[in-house]
Amino acid sequence: MMTRDEQPTNISPIQTSPLRLENVTKRFGAVTAVERVSLDIPRGAFTTLLGPSGCGKTTLLRIIAGFYEPDGGGIFLDDKRIDQMPTHLRGTAMVFQDYALWPHMTVYDNIAYGLRMSKTAHDEIERRVQETMGLVEMPAEFLKRRPTELSGGQQQRVALARALIVRPRVLLLDEPLSNLDAKVRQRLRLEIRRLQRRIGITTIYVTHDQEEALSMSDVVVVMNQGRVVQVGLPEDIYRKPATAFVAEFMGVSNVLRGAFTADGKAMRVAGIELPIPGLPNGAATVVFKADEAEIIAEGAARSDAITFDGVVEEAFFFGAMYRHFVAAGEATILVDRPTRLESKRVRLAIPRAKVQVFTEG
Amino acid sequence: MLRISREPSVIFTLAILVGLMLFFIIYPQVQVVLVPGLQGYVDFIVGQTWIKPLINSLQVMALSTTTAVILGFVYAYAMVYSKMPWKPFFRVIGILPLLSPPFVVAASYILLFGPRGLITYYVFGQSPNVLGLGGIWGVQTIAFFPFAYQLIADVLARSDARMEQAARNLGAGPWQVFRTITLPMARPGLAAAILMTAIYILEDFGNPALIGGQFTVLPTQAYGLISGFGDVSSAAAVSTILLLLALVFYIGKIRLEGQRSYVTISGRAGTIPRPPVPQVVNVACFIACLILAGLILMVYGVLFLSALTQTFPANWTFTTRHLDYLNANSLSLRNTLVYGGVAASICSLFAVLLGFLVQRRDWRGKRIVDFIAIMPAAVPGIFFGIGYATAFNQRWLDWLDRGALITISMIFWNIPVGYQAAIAGLQQIDRSLDDAATSLGASSLRAFRDILFPMLDSALLTGFVTAFVRAVTTLSVVIFLFTPGTTVATITIFQLVNDFNWGGATAFTISVVGMAVLVLVTVWVLSGRRVGLQKVQ
Repeated sequence: MMTRDEQPTNISPIQTSPLRLENVTKRFGAVTAVERVSLDIPRGAFTTLLGPSGCGKTTLLRIIAGFYEPDGGGIFLDDKRIDQMPTHLRGTAMVFQDYALWPHMTVYDNIAYGLRMSKTAHDEIERRVQETMGLVEMPAEFLKRRPTELSGGQQQRVALARALIVRPRVLLLDEPLSNLDAKVRQRLRLEIRRLQRRIGITTIYVTHDQEEALSMSDVVVVMNQGRVVQVGLPEDIYRKPATAFVAEFMGVSNVLRGAFTADGKAMRVAGIELPIPGLPNGAATVVFKADEAEIIAEGAARSDAITFDGVVEEAFFFGAMYRHFVAAGEATILVDRPTRLESKRVRLAIPRAKVQVFTEG
Repeated sequence: MLRISREPSVIFTLAILVGLMLFFIIYPQVQVVLVPGLQGYVDFIVGQTWIKPLINSLQVMALSTTTAVILGFVYAYAMVYSKMPWKPFFRVIGILPLLSPPFVVAASYILLFGPRGLITYYVFGQSPNVLGLGGIWGVQTIAFFPFAYQLIADVLARSDARMEQAARNLGAGPWQVFRTITLPMARPGLAAAILMTAIYILEDFGNPALIGGQFTVLPTQAYGLISGFGDVSSAAAVSTILLLLALVFYIGKIRLEGQRSYVTISGRAGTIPRPPVPQVVNVACFIACLILAGLILMVYGVLFLSALTQTFPANWTFTTRHLDYLNANSLSLRNTLVYGGVAASICSLFAVLLGFLVQRRDWRGKRIVDFIAIMPAAVPGIFFGIGYATAFNQRWLDWLDRGALITISMIFWNIPVGYQAAIAGLQQIDRSLDDAATSLGASSLRAFRDILFPMLDSALLTGFVTAFVRAVTTLSVVIFLFTPGTTVATITIFQLVNDFNWGGATAFTISVVGMAVLVLVTVWVLSGRRVGLQKVQ
């Protein structure tokens, strides 16, 4: 028997490929679930489809896997068109939500299933099951067990093994962690990411959890209402959201809707006039993060910042910081500070450079 | 959902299943409707012989349904809500009538209350004429309240205990909770259960045939027209009226179930207990169930006594001569077991495969096929039987053994129970389990065989047991199909009762019930699980 140390760590039996989507569209009756989505997913990248429920991310993944036929557009793997092919010939393999392991089969039978379907020889199946178990770092003694006798983490490895054994070129994961508790989720995220890096397979991961997307991905694809709204590095998605929706969805705390004044020299947000010029009477959204508001002396002015007065209504302790709910005009602004604010009345300054303004339309 | 257009094997399988259903479900029914012809219908309607049985049918249906539903509701409420003792006992007693031909109640009734009945003659010295409306009403009430109980208990059990606890938590008393929460939430389901009970009663043939006397209802009139006058045309017209009535009720029932959105299906309802009911209600429930269970036990007790005594109730001497009669007519019992067993096996397999193709795949005409599969649940047995007799008792089918024909009729008449069990089972299995197999290269049928079929074992067994019980207890479906060599137990019982051979009839009845119980228990033992009966919905 091989010990862990003797195992090859960077030799992978898996050949992987880049994936390209062109104008993929899917309608369910009158509802357009996925609308003209085009994406380039580089070879070996860990790409996350992120969005609220109903945004079309799972539908898109299932179109790639071949569970739905797209109503328009094309999917290309290594520049070969695959969207009209049966699901098992595409070179994609899926890890399902809650894993979908077959409870009436042993771990061995679960993992071997894909090879049995392709009429692989018995010895070869045996060898590949062992190999794949090694790949996901599962001891062979689990092969005789049933999925229900495994822990959540072990089930995940079996699900990954069942998908990887057919040597897919792209690995698809459909919210595999959504029903687990926070601590287990943290650990399994790490495990998935480590495995993916080790074998270097192109991976598409679907989640609605922005923290999960930011922490795991090479590339994040944010979707809303069936469309792709932004594609980028996790850092860029977080720091430079392309739209007010992305900003809001990525957990940026203050999103204030308002409109420019009739002369276009200022903007009114929640009853406060801010010195931001724009299109006369046009609607706009102001976005800034909760930890970017600074506290300045009462009556003070700063040319490089937007300032306004507020009243601290409530302060919650979050461990690493205090989150203050500050009433300013008709709005409530979130202000994160390392210590609790002493006074009720505060003057806030948000550096101009940190404020993003999205004009609508 | 996957479309099937890329898989010839699926299209082929589906074509066979649908073809068989069209030929063995739709074709015979169309035959019945067409038999009288236009002139036949005109003569029939002008003849007005149908008016009296129609009124009788509706009248007795209204009376029997009302009382059966009230008793069924009491039993169901007691089982679901109360904390009374002996619940397992009451549950078993509640299932017993589902395992026997409904007309056992009529037989028992005559032995107790007939002109020479134990109570009427031997206790009170009266010889009343019990034939007619009153007798049917009483008998159907006892015969069908257990069916109503099963349907209603199902509805009540699915109501969410958390909603009731929330109401109690806000200060509502037990009665207020029942009136403002339980009842309104269960209303669509209850109405559907009432309609289904009404359909059972409307279609009941055995009880009115035994104790109806001059009081003719639609099923007995259809039977009398054929057996007495050979008038197939009028019989077909009468049973077409019956079919239309049943279909109207059935469609109403399906509509009502569409509104069933209040009932939780998360399966979480059971995670907290229902709020307790006052002690006095528990006691009342217990007494009511004792009386109702006592009535059911009395029905079977009388049958037992009659089967084991010389001439019950006149001569109570113990004898086994009626049991010897079973030996002499073992062919009929053997046929029942063979036809029922074969029919139930094929029916449950057929239905599970069909359920898979309907529930998991997308294709044109799916909703029509779904309706064809559940429709036999609404088709009166007598109509189904006449349909098979007219469509298949034909010269060109002389080579076909009539036993095979009886088996086929049992298969297709019971498709709905297997199908509904299969659909319910499939809904419990997450789609990703079979998607995982298809994505790894299994064809649709392979994924069905490897993944779903082994996981549907409960649904299969439920379908099998229910189809078997219904097949061996039906009288009306087979009454026009049997030949001397292919007779079955229900037919023999019917003939023995008509010959006033009560000892033989009751011995046969007990053995049919015993056969059904035996099969149910065998399935429990072999499968290691308590498979229930699928409610015919």
